[in-house]
Amino acid sequence: MNVNHNTEKDRLNFWEKLYLPEIARGLGLTLRQMFKKPMTRQYPEERWEPTGSYRGRPVLVLEEDGERCVACSLCSRVCPALAIEVQAAETTREKERYPVKFEINMLRCIYCGFCEEVCPEEAIVMSKDYELVFTNQEDAIMGKDKLLIPIAQLQDRLEFLRRFK
Amino acid sequence: MVIDTQGQRTEHAQNAIMEFLLINHPLDCPICDEAGECKLQEYAFLHSKGQSRFNEKKNHKDKRVELGPNVMFDGERCISCSRCIRFADEVAKQPVLTFVQRGDHVTIETFPGTTFDSPYSMNVNDICPVGALTSMDFRFASRVWEMSFTDSICPGCSRGCNIKVGVRNNEILRLEPRTNMHVNEYWMCDDARLTQYKFVNENRVSSPMIRKGNTLVSASWQDATAQAAELLKKFKPSEIMVVGSARATNEDNYLLAKFAHNTLKTNNIDFLRHVDNAFGDNFLRTNDRTPNAHGAAEVGVKHETSGVSMDHLAEKIKQRSIKALYVMDGDIAANSTLTAALSDLDCLIVHASNHNSTTERAHVVLASTTYAELEGTFTNMNKRVQYVQPAVATQDHERIEGMQMSRWDKFGASNDRWARGERRNCHQNWEIVQDIANAFGAGWHYSDSGSVFKDIANHVSAFSGMSYDLLQEYQGLTLGKAGSPEPKGVVYQSNYMKPN
Amino acid sequence: MSPLLTDILILLAKVVLIVNGLLMSAAYLVYFERKISAWAHNRIGPNRVGPLGLFQSFADVFKLYLKEDIIPTLADKKFHFIAPIISIGVAMAVYAVIPFGDSFVVGGKEVFMTVAPGINIGLLFVFAMSSVGVYGITLAGWSSNNKYSLLGGLRSAAQMISYELSMGLSIIGVLMLSGSLDLTKIVHAQAGGKWNIFLQPLAFIIFLVASFAETNRTPFDLPEAEPELVGGYHTEYSGMKFGLFFLAEYANMVTASAMMVLLFLGGWEVPGLYEALALPAGSPLVALVQFGVFAAKLVPILFFFIWVRWSLPRFRYDQLMNLGWKVMLPLALANIIITAVVITILQHYGIM
Repeated sequence: MNVNHNTEKDRLNFWEKLYLPEIARGLGLTLRQMFKKPMTRQYPEERWEPTGSYRGRPVLVLEEDGERCVACSLCSRVCPALAIEVQAAETTREKERYPVKFEINMLRCIYCGFCEEVCPEEAIVMSKDYELVFTNQEDAIMGKDKLLIPIAQLQDRLEFLRRFK
Repeated sequence: MVIDTQGQRTEHAQNAIMEFLLINHPLDCPICDEAGECKLQEYAFLHSKGQSRFNEKKNHKDKRVELGPNVMFDGERCISCSRCIRFADEVAKQPVLTFVQRGDHVTIETFPGTTFDSPYSMNVNDICPVGALTSMDFRFASRVWEMSFTDSICPGCSRGCNIKVGVRNNEILRLEPRTNMHVNEYWMCDDARLTQYKFVNENRVSSPMIRKGNTLVSASWQDATAQAAELLKKFKPSEIMVVGSARATNEDNYLLAKFAHNTLKTNNIDFLRHVDNAFGDNFLRTNDRTPNAHGAAEVGVKHETSGVSMDHLAEKIKQRSIKALYVMDGDIAANSTLTAALSDLDCLIVHASNHNSTTERAHVVLASTTYAELEGTFTNMNKRVQYVQPAVATQDHERIEGMQMSRWDKFGASNDRWARGERRNCHQNWEIVQDIANAFGAGWHYSDSGSVFKDIANHVSAFSGMSYDLLQEYQGLTLGKAGSPEPKGVVYQSNYMKPN
Repeated sequence: MSPLLTDILILLAKVVLIVNGLLMSAAYLVYFERKISAWAHNRIGPNRVGPLGLFQSFADVFKLYLKEDIIPTLADKKFHFIAPIISIGVAMAVYAVIPFGDSFVVGGKEVFMTVAPGINIGLLFVFAMSSVGVYGITLAGWSSNNKYSLLGGLRSAAQMISYELSMGLSIIGVLMLSGSLDLTKIVHAQAGGKWNIFLQPLAFIIFLVASFAETNRTPFDLPEAEPELVGGYHTEYSGMKFGLFFLAEYANMVTASAMMVLLFLGGWEVPGLYEALALPAGSPLVALVQFGVFAAKLVPILFFFIWVRWSLPRFRYDQLMNLGWKVMLPLALANIIITAVVITILQHYGIM
């Protein structure tokens, strides 16, 4: 019969089968851990500042003369979770289009960063914002008012994209 | 001669041609309306290496030139194919477009002092292989891939042009022609593009209404149909006039005629013609502004010698020999001869899709579908019966029940704002008629438009042999000639990346 | 005051003290459980409620009180209600016979440091009561009308019966040495450093392992194995009913630890301590020291319980049964025989 034996009898030696020495070893390991410095933080008081490579909440880049976004909807198309809705409209600026409505449903967003990757204008980038709490579903749908972030605050990410994208 | 369409040398040549085409073409795809249905984009995707060796500065041209009231021209995107010039010359018969300049400075202009305002001008937006010519009405309204496109028939005139209805979030954003060599070839008129979708989106009667005192209040379908039946029962058959509609489908009119003859037992039946002598031309547009005048008459909604005709209706109302009016046509009060007469009626029951002057006077308003929400058939001026299917969801019929769906429609949930487009509480005309007839004890049970059409095919000789499947397969059949359909033309699929 | 009334008052005072003390210690065991697990994980642990998170347990209990008490529609409501009461009731009842020290004299009245002093079947009572504890868990599993609960309850019954056997047999050696079932006498028999842990090391290990199994602690927590059985027998319990099971588990842990202290670690006996202190016999101070010693022995064992839980994985069911029946039981039997033989030989030569 073609049976693959992998019983405790085959695997373990005499001392291991006795359990007790191994148990003592295991207990020793945990005991040593107890005297190590905790790795966790006191979260609300101590906050972690992510680096540029962190993929937090996606935001729109706001330049001095308005948003970079031209409402091409590529982010919306590529989004695997269908979190982004864009409505374009015409402006008199050199780039003829702008998003009259840009909404990201943060309940759908999976922070994959595809939107940022596909964006031809580098207008949508992943921010460092990871503190996302909502009390109802409507709040989780972020419009332009919450999405537009001045470019100065996004330098780390833009620098990261310049070097590694 | 042997032509290689594949192989290394061919690919090399294709790459080279694409590189030339793209030398001066801007990287506008993100903001270009044509993206997603652009031939150049498709070719670039298929035949280009995706890189250019062109390091020099690209030519810049004017980006926002209004060639006509509905056509916007972007000089940089133009690849100088001259399709629009030929269209203006040969189809629209308004030869105002031409190339100017030479070499890579070539661009398109109108002759000085002219504008490209032909009633068919917007067709150049469709035939333009790139996004150089775009519709000013649709400009930036939506990406192509966000919409669903449903085959339909234009209800704007009796030509019955084959169209596609572009819908996003249950709202029609644009109409475009669908090739049918026996009806409209590749074209449709600007008027239809600009007017035949807004009334579906706006000013709708979104639920049945009953008059209480001076105001109309929303009611349930049960209450509204019961009220309508109750009102009609108060009158003698000869006091009731039933008005069919050339804007409604064959199915609607057939059941209405059956209702008038068998249930109400009245001979007073006719429909109102909407003729606009200024509209027709010798190409596609016709004076009869309704899609189904032929069909309505064919299935039984026509003046009978013993009954009252539309022409005498106002007079008969004045004489008090007609006291109740059952109207399927949306807006008969707009007809100047009838406007005054309507207020003398004791009972006005109207099927309406939009609020108008008739609904203001009605005692019962029954919310009906527009052409974009129903399934049925229209018979055009050449007696061609053509199939219409729903493109917009209602409370009764969701998209999931076999309608065309975009990616957004497929995955939308109740908490997505982009999936909340209004679903109206409207019924197809024949469904309303059936409900009222059943309130009279008619005992009809048509389950869908198809079963009504089957009844028509069995009872109206001109329709015999027709079915929805055949109508879809041959893009329409001529009355009485279901056995010998016109040959199906080869329909060239011009934008294979476009949805549906 | 009549003597009877005094007795009753003293009794009541003791009961109140013990019940409250037990509940408090259970609550704080939960706190330490969380703290120690946090340390083992290099975390900080509860630190928000009160200084160092010391009031966390009260917050937990308060939360449990405020939670909705859900009874499944198809549950057997009577038993569903009774099961947690059996669990906690039994866990508490055991303390009637557990002595925390000898006795002291206040106002000429001798007060014993146990609720029911001088019971000569104290040990049997403890075992009897802990056997009844199985009912609480089994009934909870059965009455919930939930497959996971039922499986948890069944496992619990099988596990407890299997390990009770070796547990009971393991202490027979101790009984042979002390010659009594009275826990106070067993402690006294260990005076002068003759702790049973030295005389009966094998019995101690068996007892230790069996008490882990009896208290449903890791690595023997099969009845509530979360990954397999959701919550085991208390899947369908919420609010304070769940809280009672929770408290019972920790109360049982204290019981098991106390039993280990009494049976194997010499109870409150420390060689030479009382002689060195030279306190008058019967003084309340002696009783206090005795209780202190008892507690000092209890705490490391409790720590050990928690330590093991955050170190070892759970047994598989077949391993559990193998260990119980094929290893523990033969060893316990062997221990009895060896003890008996050695005692007989020693008595024959007059050494004992």
